[in-house]
Amino acid sequence: MAEQKSFEQYCRETFDAKKIFEKPEAFKGYVAISTTQYILGPSCANYFAELGMETIKIELPRRGEPMRHTTPYNEPFLYPLSKQMPDKGTGLGFFGANHNEYFLSVDFHKPEGVEIVHRIQAKTDIQAENYRPGTFDRWGIGYRQAAKINPRLIYIWMGGFGGWGPGRVRASYDILGQAAGGCFSVTGFPGPGHGHPAIGLPSKHTIWLADYWGGMMGCFAGLAALWWRDNVSGVGEFIEYSQVHGATRHLESALPIYGRYGIIKQRWGDWDTEMCVHGIIKCGKSSYPTSKNPQEMEEGYILVSAPEDGDFARLCQAVSNLKPLAGKYAKADDRIQPAAQTEIYTALEEWAKDKTKEDVWKFMEDNNVNSQPVWSNKECALQEHFQLRDELHWLDDPYFGDVLSQGLPYHLSETPARHRWAFKPVGADNEYILQKYCGYGLDQIRELEKNEII
Amino acid sequence: MAEIKSSDIPVLPWPAVPVPTPDEVYKGLSEQAREYPNWLEANVHFRDVGKKPEKLNRIRVLDCSIKMNIGHWCSSLFAEHGAEVIMVEPPGGDPTRKHTPFGRKDLMFKDSATGEAVGGKFLHECRNKLSITMNLDTAEGRELLKKLAVDADVVIENYPPGQFDAWGIGYRQLSQINPRLVYCWVGQRGQWGPLKDRPWMYDPVAQNACGFTHGTGAPVAFGGRPTRSGFWVCDHVGGTSAAMGIMAALNYRERISGRGQFVEATAAAGIMRIIDYNWGWQGMDGSVRPRFGNWDLAINIYAVNPCKDGQIMVGGGHDRLWFRIWKTVGKDRPELEEHIIEDPALKVVVDRLPFYAQVETYTTLSEWFKDNSRLEAETKLQAEEVASGGVSFTDEVAEFPHFKYRGHVGVIDDVLYGKVLHAPAPQLAQKAPPRLKWIGRPTGYDNEEVYRRIFGFKKDDLDRLKKQGII
Repeated sequence: MAEQKSFEQYCRETFDAKKIFEKPEAFKGYVAISTTQYILGPSCANYFAELGMETIKIELPRRGEPMRHTTPYNEPFLYPLSKQMPDKGTGLGFFGANHNEYFLSVDFHKPEGVEIVHRIQAKTDIQAENYRPGTFDRWGIGYRQAAKINPRLIYIWMGGFGGWGPGRVRASYDILGQAAGGCFSVTGFPGPGHGHPAIGLPSKHTIWLADYWGGMMGCFAGLAALWWRDNVSGVGEFIEYSQVHGATRHLESALPIYGRYGIIKQRWGDWDTEMCVHGIIKCGKSSYPTSKNPQEMEEGYILVSAPEDGDFARLCQAVSNLKPLAGKYAKADDRIQPAAQTEIYTALEEWAKDKTKEDVWKFMEDNNVNSQPVWSNKECALQEHFQLRDELHWLDDPYFGDVLSQGLPYHLSETPARHRWAFKPVGADNEYILQKYCGYGLDQIRELEKNEII
Repeated sequence: MAEIKSSDIPVLPWPAVPVPTPDEVYKGLSEQAREYPNWLEANVHFRDVGKKPEKLNRIRVLDCSIKMNIGHWCSSLFAEHGAEVIMVEPPGGDPTRKHTPFGRKDLMFKDSATGEAVGGKFLHECRNKLSITMNLDTAEGRELLKKLAVDADVVIENYPPGQFDAWGIGYRQLSQINPRLVYCWVGQRGQWGPLKDRPWMYDPVAQNACGFTHGTGAPVAFGGRPTRSGFWVCDHVGGTSAAMGIMAALNYRERISGRGQFVEATAAAGIMRIIDYNWGWQGMDGSVRPRFGNWDLAINIYAVNPCKDGQIMVGGGHDRLWFRIWKTVGKDRPELEEHIIEDPALKVVVDRLPFYAQVETYTTLSEWFKDNSRLEAETKLQAEEVASGGVSFTDEVAEFPHFKYRGHVGVIDDVLYGKVLHAPAPQLAQKAPPRLKWIGRPTGYDNEEVYRRIFGFKKDDLDRLKKQGII
């Protein structure tokens, strides 16, 4: 019998990014519609596209959806925006939520536009939509009308507060989900009087969390609905996902403890309320002392993690400043107290004063203690690890050339998800989609173009 | 002044303020305007879930993950959608059960059957699951897992990379026993590659590794430093993406291949997938995304700022909303509206994005906020249909009328744990919705039931295994 491969080698071969296009797709031949804008709905449909569904993104003609006009500091754009507007570009805000899709532009307000949508809905497995609740219903292209055409359609409405209840008319964005759902209130440094030496305000998660992660939750429900339809019921259904509702799901222990004991969870900065040592400390020296970029000039930060008693003993052995605390805080229950945490982390930061985060990282690895430097997106992008694993990759995009793109968040050994292209200009696939799904010919398409329907 | 103990403060039963009635909610609306919300309520309201089927009740998931949240989060999604999720815990239970803020044992939850205390975080992700114990350190315990895997659809584990493989219960071995098995490893950075996980790494390892911590919090100039999330956000996102991968594999198995596959999802990759435009920007011109506090690099106005009684969010990226926001401000403080509207540097949407423009915008806006409470500002802005809302704390989240009315927070009257406030599954579905059936189980509560049902064990077998420390 041949020598069994090492596990590492086995995994490298099983999940080899170079072999992705040699393998089948999980949802070959499935069709998804994305009548969405901003991030929440688009990202949901995007996850379907990554799994192999032919995903048709329908936007309003010419200018496209608002996210195309959103980019940091209004600097980076990818050109062109559309055939009609070659001198305008699409902002990078659009980038993460529209991979692999086909781009159709349709004016829903016109009867010809409604007809196009109906013809596509008849052939569709799953649709994501995030206009204001009831808008599509009013325009005649909502779930109730579509289900008559195609009872197997799964229709996911995603939005802020949902279409019913006291807040149904309220507009919402990701940041409002984070705020109203309680995510802000537990993130950041605490207010004064909470026993933490640093003071701060409730903080935003840097990413559009409620949107992108909300899309994931919608996607999971959609995949489960497909499973149920294909294996059990044979029918589609309507799913409603509220972004502010989703955000409350993150609160972990906060709701049970408030409900039973009336205690309102506060913030605890970069340390952990349930484990110690398991906190982020400041290292006194910058890793890039000669850099002119303010993002790189600042000191380094690193997570030091030694939560169990054995880990802590090992850490105290290694770090000179912690030696006096080894006996005092030998037990996890003693270490977790606010005063103990302050003492321990202060001692650690004092010790790290003359070190960079890389120094501390190496020291911790050498002493068998878990640690992880706080990396900027640049430092992360330079890690061979993530590129090897295809969690970050350069796309050779047909429109935009080489673009650095996020990869896939999960790996499947047999049917890996994949990225083909980043996105395309507004209406780039009008002809392909109208021929394939609507049975229109060239004259008809030109007529629609002339009448500004597409 | 005498110290106030939390036990001295009476805790009102939830909800402290009654849930609004439909008549109050839809007061003054025409029949036509009520039609669509009524249809939605009739189709997706949580009160009807008990009448409807579940989507995944043919799926059995073994959740072998311990010590961190990512695996539990992933299996929660399956449990909410009806799968039978069996948590396979070491004897004595998953150590995460004992996690409670600042070691506060008085804030834990006891069940009526065993009296075992469990922390709120674990209990919240224990929903609809069964708990059995199995000592995987022993050969006999591992044999039990192999037997259990014969009839399982999904295995989720997060042991150190290669540990299960070395134990003979990894994907390579279990897929021989059960080719239909979908096997998922979850962790922080990965089970292979130059930065593969060291044993027992927890979130925020992933938060730091993917650029999340670096980008969260206020800039240095505002006295900020890199900030981790207040919860295990990478575990939540990584767990959700793992569930997506598993669900795709199950779909493919059922329709096409008849075989399972090996799935891997990490907390770092989960956030890397969704961390906005960071990579495109970095790849384009080498930019390092800066921290920007509670403002946004790409949209102005789109921020959370302090107001009279806390912090308030207001957002409006384009002209229509920009002018509505300033119109609202102008009703109280015309000079502030004038100051902004007449500033030539802020005339065009895209000119409002540079740092100095945002400072000017929000300084002016905060002048108005400082005289308005969250509710006042929110009400005034909503009158102009601007997205706005206060930063809510847990008590406000729990009592928010909209959430109560729609069941976004709810109380379950659990057979073992009594009344527990929780956040239910956020996906509302028309025909086969997710739901909460029970909030959790004490360690090994279902040993007898599961070992009898699946293994056909008798009382003697169970007693022997228990005595030998195998279950």
